[in-house]
Amino acid sequence: MSILTNGEPGKRYLLMGNEAIARGALEAGVSVCAGYPGTPSSEIIESLSKVAGNRNLYVEWSTNEKVSMEVAAAASFAGLRAMCPMKQNGVNVGSDFLLHLALSGTRGGMVIVPCDDPGALSSINEGESRQFARLLEVPLLEPGDFQEAKGITRWAFELSEELHSMVFVRSVTRLSHASGNVEFGELPQVNPKAGFKHDGFILDEMEGIITSAPVDYKHGLQHAKLKKAVERFENSPFNTYQGPEHPELILVTSSACNFYCREAIGLLDAGDRVGLLKLATTWPLPPKLIEKYLSMTDRFFVVEEVIPFTEENLKILAQEMAPRIGIKTIMGKRDGKLPMVGELNPDIVTQALAGLLGLEYKPQPDDYVQRSREIVTRAPNRELTFCPGCPHRASFWTINNVLKMDNRQGFVCGDIGCYTLSTLPTGFSASKTLHAMGSGTGVASGFGKLKQFGMDQPVLSVCGDSTFFASALPALFNAVHNQSDITMVLLDNSGTAMTGFQTHPGLKTGAMGQEVPAISIEAVCRSIGAKVKISDPFDIESTRNALFELLEENGVNVLILKQICTLSPEKKAKKKFEVRVMAEKCLGESCGCGRLCTRIFRCPGLIWNKDKGKAEINDVICIGCGVCGSICPNAAIEKKEVA
Amino acid sequence: MQVYGSKELVEDVLNKDLCIGCGACVDLCPYFKTYKGKTAMIFPCTVQQGRCHAYCPKTESDLTELSMSLFGKPYDGSPMGHHEKILIARAGDKVHPAPFQAGGAVSALVTFAMKNGMVDAAVLTGRTGLIPYAELVTESESVARFTTSKYMAAPTLSAFNQGVKQGFQKIGVVGTPCQMTALAQMSINPLHTENFKDSVALKIGLFCTWALDTRKLAAYLSSRLDITGIKAMDIPPPPAEILVLDMGGKTIEIPLSEIRPLVPRTCLLCPDMTSEWADVSVGVLEGEPKFNTLIIRTRTGQDLVDKAVAQGFLTIREMPAVNLDHLSAAASNKKKRALAGAMEEGLLNTAENGKRAMMRIEKAVVERILA
Repeated sequence: MSILTNGEPGKRYLLMGNEAIARGALEAGVSVCAGYPGTPSSEIIESLSKVAGNRNLYVEWSTNEKVSMEVAAAASFAGLRAMCPMKQNGVNVGSDFLLHLALSGTRGGMVIVPCDDPGALSSINEGESRQFARLLEVPLLEPGDFQEAKGITRWAFELSEELHSMVFVRSVTRLSHASGNVEFGELPQVNPKAGFKHDGFILDEMEGIITSAPVDYKHGLQHAKLKKAVERFENSPFNTYQGPEHPELILVTSSACNFYCREAIGLLDAGDRVGLLKLATTWPLPPKLIEKYLSMTDRFFVVEEVIPFTEENLKILAQEMAPRIGIKTIMGKRDGKLPMVGELNPDIVTQALAGLLGLEYKPQPDDYVQRSREIVTRAPNRELTFCPGCPHRASFWTINNVLKMDNRQGFVCGDIGCYTLSTLPTGFSASKTLHAMGSGTGVASGFGKLKQFGMDQPVLSVCGDSTFFASALPALFNAVHNQSDITMVLLDNSGTAMTGFQTHPGLKTGAMGQEVPAISIEAVCRSIGAKVKISDPFDIESTRNALFELLEENGVNVLILKQICTLSPEKKAKKKFEVRVMAEKCLGESCGCGRLCTRIFRCPGLIWNKDKGKAEINDVICIGCGVCGSICPNAAIEKKEVA
Repeated sequence: MQVYGSKELVEDVLNKDLCIGCGACVDLCPYFKTYKGKTAMIFPCTVQQGRCHAYCPKTESDLTELSMSLFGKPYDGSPMGHHEKILIARAGDKVHPAPFQAGGAVSALVTFAMKNGMVDAAVLTGRTGLIPYAELVTESESVARFTTSKYMAAPTLSAFNQGVKQGFQKIGVVGTPCQMTALAQMSINPLHTENFKDSVALKIGLFCTWALDTRKLAAYLSSRLDITGIKAMDIPPPPAEILVLDMGGKTIEIPLSEIRPLVPRTCLLCPDMTSEWADVSVGVLEGEPKFNTLIIRTRTGQDLVDKAVAQGFLTIREMPAVNLDHLSAAASNKKKRALAGAMEEGLLNTAENGKRAMMRIEKAVVERILA
């Protein structure tokens, strides 16, 4: 049983930020939660899916973020409380719907939870979802610690219901994935009944039709809602100030930067010199509250991630208030005190604050860089790599080899998933473009139309099974309909592997463990007229032959490389082969091999024994896929099928 | 000859578009692969001196060194290279009739060498559809499957490398001048390997003025006909100036001027028309479509021809003087053009300025050829 429903009210529990958000939703009586997996957001839905039966929730992994927003919105329209968590770029995916939802309004509390990834720790962008709140003109809340992650989520539902507007609760990796103490409140004993009222007066928010038109009226209504939100924000207990009445300087912060600021003030022992204004209601900023703090001193230092969002909003208010409160100095990112890109940390913030206070602070000892360089030379060189026995390594091995042998400068348009690593040596650097989910096939579709301009390079795209449903389908349809010449390689590892094996429409199990119909990727591709071949990427030869054949075909080809992820719960710890290097046959560094397996193929299950000058298998991590047996030029790697 | 590694091979040959795809570097290691007439390096290798570079006929080919080693005398640049005898020949009565090119002398010699035990395997070039492929043949009955010319660069020597790996020690190879050059370079043990054993027992060289780029030819022909229906191809001796395609029942003629642009530039830099490093070289014969020209260069070649004639596998005659003159003039012209081109591109004897050469020939010999 999950602590999320078993924990006792009034007691404190160590929760991950994402679990705290989930608990907040439970305490608010959420009924529907829909999202698309994406780090650092995935645990919100995962933890709710575990208690779904218990709390009569409906939880789903939707096909993509836009659909998840629509699913959640429907629940809100039917009077239920609904939540929609996603990673930062998920907001981009659904922003078209959100732009209209902002105008049409909501009924039951509707909370969007974007979890941003400053520093792009698990992303290939560090996009800011906060900007969307301003763009869409909806209220934005940012929890500053774990307790607030729960409390603010809970409050966000009430606020949303009061305003008839969706509310953003924005988290970041260091809040979502770190853990802290959270005191539980009561879980409501409610059993909401869903129903969609649609035959009332056309402009009635609760009983009319739900649409963004007439736009000028709805937009006006939206601004009235924002005004009401600001009134609530003025008195929100989640905006806090800590520090002297007449500080030299006030730090203004939100989200995980709250931790860094508190640590910086402590490290510099500056608690009696500076104040800390931690804002939770970051858009729109409540002007009375801001004026009160702007009046307390003349210097302000805004600490936030990633773009100078609050800094700019604060500067607008300060300018408007200047006739009353005088000219204020607001520092932060625009003046270079803090970096415009990447994650912040206590060192960066402490050093910047020390500079502003005229204090000495060295985050590291003088010889730190020198000493770490010395140590690094002794540390093993570790690079981003596919897991031992990862099907993607085998797939990209063949893709690379076929494209090189084909000798026409063919290339791969990459996509989002573990196989994003194929831009790196672990995927033999096969992918040459990389953007959003589904973009690989979209970009390929464009390249595949350039023959009339003399481009004769073969064009491949890669796409995972989850990405296929999420966003590659429109691109594939585009390629077929517009007669583009591409080969899409579908890396089907039977799950949303990168984010932890969440389900998708191609699988037989839903988010709550229920049995659901699986949609066949092969059948979909065939039905739209693509030529389809299926191969096991571990069978190097047949995969190679299949790809060679498809490269000769015009039009849209799909090569489905089907092999379940090595880490999947179904497959874990089951070895197909016992693998062994026959030392007497291993050529090692000599001409004829040049350490192919440990220098190029580089499965972590293969190790180079420098002393013996031979390759060996690391039995502890080898998962027995047997692929290295197929690539050894001297047949020195023996594989025996495990009974 | 100076031997380098795969890095230099890629820089000097692949990147300069000098690779003819002969297959000499293929199947030695996992890095060089052949596909549709082209050779590619799929991953870089770190070996400083490799067989790939040593065997390649387009890197540091030192013709003096080869000539000294094979014939015991310096390379003199004579049009048809070192030879003992030039004859005309055709398959003898003992050879099962097959759709031979010209006189079928090549098939006859290979069949005989296999039956006679002179070779235990033969490396031959076949064709699937249009695309040439290499095969290691161990039964003399199979030779008939490989008759007729391909006129395309073929990775023939990859099958030789496979044969060596499989342990064959007496391999016969039928190949073009570039392939004979590669085999000659293999036979001089360029990497000074201990216990070196030359696995080439017989080199049957083919005359070659140029080959065609496989993929380009396939594209050219595909737009005009069904390439899977091509039974045989022939470029009759001058002055015909046509490529004749036997489509089974009908023939299609294509002017050479149409397909000359499909000749890889590396062929135009090759000075060897008659496979000068072979044991015996075979070509067509002007005016006699059912005969071959035969150049015997080594004792091995002489021995093979003598025995084949004695046992009825080959019929020979003297070469008419007029044919000899024409052959010599053609071979000499190719040499002149190739050396002039190589010199212009800085590919001939370029050690002085630290550059690597494609080919090394004594300065006096170069002057004599170009004179």
